[in-house]
Amino acid sequence: MIKQYPLYEQYEVAKIEDYGYKEHRFTKILYKIIRYLVIIFAVFLMYIPIFTIFLQSINSSTITSEFGSVTLKWYVNIFTKGSLLTAIRNTVFISIWATMISTLLGTLFAIGISTLERKTKRHIMLLNNIPLLNADIVSGIGLMLIFSSLVHFFPYFFGWKTMLLAHIFFTLPYVVLSVLPKLREIDPNLFEASLDLGVKPYPSLYKVIIPAIKAGIFSGMILAFTMSFDDFVISYYTTGNGFDNLSIWIYSSMGRKSLSPSVYAFSTLVTIVFFALLIISNLLQGRRHHNENN
Amino acid sequence: MNKYFKKLAIPYFVWLYILAIIPFMFMVILSFVSNEGLDFSAAIFTLENFGHLTASSTVIAFMNSFFYAVIATIVCIVIGYMVAYAIFRSHFKNKFLVMTILILPMWSNMLLRIEALKNLMEPHNIITDLLAKIGINLSLNIAGTPLAVIIGLISTYIPFMILSIYTALEKIDYSLEEAALDLGLTETKKFWKVIFPLSIKGIVSGSIMVFLPCMSGFAIPEILGQGNILLIGNVIDQHFRNMNYNLGSLLAVVILVVILAAILLVSKFDKEGETLI
Repeated sequence: MIKQYPLYEQYEVAKIEDYGYKEHRFTKILYKIIRYLVIIFAVFLMYIPIFTIFLQSINSSTITSEFGSVTLKWYVNIFTKGSLLTAIRNTVFISIWATMISTLLGTLFAIGISTLERKTKRHIMLLNNIPLLNADIVSGIGLMLIFSSLVHFFPYFFGWKTMLLAHIFFTLPYVVLSVLPKLREIDPNLFEASLDLGVKPYPSLYKVIIPAIKAGIFSGMILAFTMSFDDFVISYYTTGNGFDNLSIWIYSSMGRKSLSPSVYAFSTLVTIVFFALLIISNLLQGRRHHNENN
Repeated sequence: MNKYFKKLAIPYFVWLYILAIIPFMFMVILSFVSNEGLDFSAAIFTLENFGHLTASSTVIAFMNSFFYAVIATIVCIVIGYMVAYAIFRSHFKNKFLVMTILILPMWSNMLLRIEALKNLMEPHNIITDLLAKIGINLSLNIAGTPLAVIIGLISTYIPFMILSIYTALEKIDYSLEEAALDLGLTETKKFWKVIFPLSIKGIVSGSIMVFLPCMSGFAIPEILGQGNILLIGNVIDQHFRNMNYNLGSLLAVVILVVILAAILLVSKFDKEGETLI
């Protein structure tokens, strides 16, 4: 009996190259190496300042170019160095209030914007992009000019009040931009249904719409907080009466060449806290997903 | 929903007009007059300020700002695209977490990071000191040079580029890629014909978010340039510190024109501003 070979084994199998395909193996390997180098370079570029700040924070020598021995005294000094502590307190005060106010107002504004006609909407979104894209220095100067022209009516206005207003001004667009896409996703019938069931418009806004856009509000809030916490230029122009936030304090200490290593310690602490929060929130989220899947 | 909440947007219009539009008009007026600070009682109309625009120091500052910002933006696009694409293609379970950890440095104070970079660029710094202790002698002296400023700009603003390119990549429908492969494209062709065109939106908004602060910032050139390098932000800051509001406002208005062009560009590419955050 003749063994029957399958047909394809009787002929030479065509290789993919015969169809004009080129493997480019060398270029692929080269690209891979370049890609890894670039990624390492990018991570290096972003992390080297953080690493230096960390080294500086455990360095017993106050000279920035020398490493003495490992110490934790700067971490203790955060709470004893008066001017730094005040600056930290001011930063926290301003950024928490600015975040709360702009989250609340930004959500309401976004709901208002979502109901506008197309043309008016485009108009307001263009205006909304101005604080977002404007150069910090131009925003800062603009706000300063407006606030200084109001000084006649409100003396002693400059200080935390102007800084808070300025922070609300530049954090609002972030909240509006985070909430708007969520509003587009919700089903308009939900709101109509709640009205049909006899709920008044504003209570149903609170009971129906707000829960549906919760995620957008939350991400807007986080963005607003980070922007406000780290701001320098706008705060620098709109503050007064010796009200310093952390950035302004760092800037003026640098000018006097008297930057205390405690601020490095504080910065390291903040980074660690952010990192921990990130990991914890991620773990919690993972668990929730796990529970939902079961 | 439409008829009930329309009025919620009205206060925002008022707020934006007062705090975003009126200051611009204020600055335009200031740039056409000559007065003391904000006292308009003795203001006289003059075009003298415009003469200062062509002064060599201002022109050099503008050119420098533009060049530094362009170089930093281009480097950020190349590196940022590669990093964002690598994360997008990686097999991590939670890519968003990897992304956030990558850009974690963004959350510590910018001025402090710049100060740390400046210290590293001095010939003697904490890392060379530590390395010398284990017998490696390494020295780098670029503090106060244009290279230092450009490195500072890239290091500070690259997270924005990575984030916005990544956001654009995430939004690409996977079935488009499958379709491209089904139609016989190779991986490289698929990238250039499908993925890259769809991620241009992210590149544009990322570039704007890198270019504008690079061009107008004054802290980075001041700290890393150690006074050798003046960008336009430094010039504006100096004028306002010397109470020369007229010239400062004029320069701010010039920057503003560039920014308005950028805003129009964004609204053309991205109607709802969804890649801006």
